[in-house]
Amino acid sequence: MRTTRREFLSTSGVILSSLIIPDIMQAVWTDASGPEWQNTAHAAGLVEIRMRSDQSGANVWFDPIGIYVKPGQVVRWIVKENVHTTTAYHPRNGNHSLRIPEKAAPWNSGYLVNPGDHFEVKLEVEGVYDYYCIPHEMAGMVGRIIVGRPIGPGALSFDYYRGRPGTANWLPVPEAAQKTFPNIERIMREKIVRR
Amino acid sequence: MKPIPIKLRFLVFGILVAGIMIFAATLDGVCAEKHMYNAPPGGNYKKVSSLVALPDFIPGLGTLYVDPATLPAGPFLAYDKKGHLVSTVYMIPIKDINDHKEFKNLKVASGKVDHVDMYYNAGHPGVPEPHYHVILWHVSPEKAAELK
Repeated sequence: MRTTRREFLSTSGVILSSLIIPDIMQAVWTDASGPEWQNTAHAAGLVEIRMRSDQSGANVWFDPIGIYVKPGQVVRWIVKENVHTTTAYHPRNGNHSLRIPEKAAPWNSGYLVNPGDHFEVKLEVEGVYDYYCIPHEMAGMVGRIIVGRPIGPGALSFDYYRGRPGTANWLPVPEAAQKTFPNIERIMREKIVRR
Repeated sequence: MKPIPIKLRFLVFGILVAGIMIFAATLDGVCAEKHMYNAPPGGNYKKVSSLVALPDFIPGLGTLYVDPATLPAGPFLAYDKKGHLVSTVYMIPIKDINDHKEFKNLKVASGKVDHVDMYYNAGHPGVPEPHYHVILWHVSPEKAAELK
């Protein structure tokens, strides 16, 4: 897996992406159904996850919260409202419990402050990838990506690591977040799950 | 001329002293608040956007300043785009409410409170947990609605 550094679009990039990418992906998601969707998404190579919020900041979410991609596809998170991060569940990210494949590199976008700010990760290792938003994890702003087969720590229960050596200081997934994750079967069946 | 009774003298003297004390206290209060009426408020207050990853101007709230020692409750002082004080904001974590934590003697930027808003917020840099915004507005709802 290769993780790109946090990058901000140039003015032309913002205009280009706002005009083209959402339209392409919206069309892909709107018309998604089975193998046709997979082929289209694979051809596009890039999927977009929007980081959302209502005006008061009371409701925050990733849109979609669950998505299936093929190995090698690039996932882009883009801020629509509020301030967010996309951060992998991994001990290197503040001792959070491991919920991405063991061989995958963790990512942390840092704070994305302005609408249009974005962050990309290329996902190459098969498995389940759980991630969260740092300021909103306690409120349940989390997401799940399945790359290829639904395997690895992210496919296990939230307390799978209890009693294992070296995990004593791992932080559990907050209760509100546990309730938000779409289940794996649904993602595999529907490919895209919105909250 | 009839001499003033000693009890009456004490009463007049007491009233004068009390009046002076009240006037001094009011004057001191006004002076203490005045430096907060316009941004930046000075003292230990820092612009929130210089402390955490938040935009300078937050729609619906304004430009926020806080004394870091008072986090997370605040007060946060909010200013409009012209730098005029619009509200005093407190941010109270839900877990602190559930734990029955007390918040006493929180400072107020101005004695004039037009109305109060209280609403839930899922979190943001600086207070990364669910909490309530308690906003003492020093301006009308119409003025507050202009903070876009």
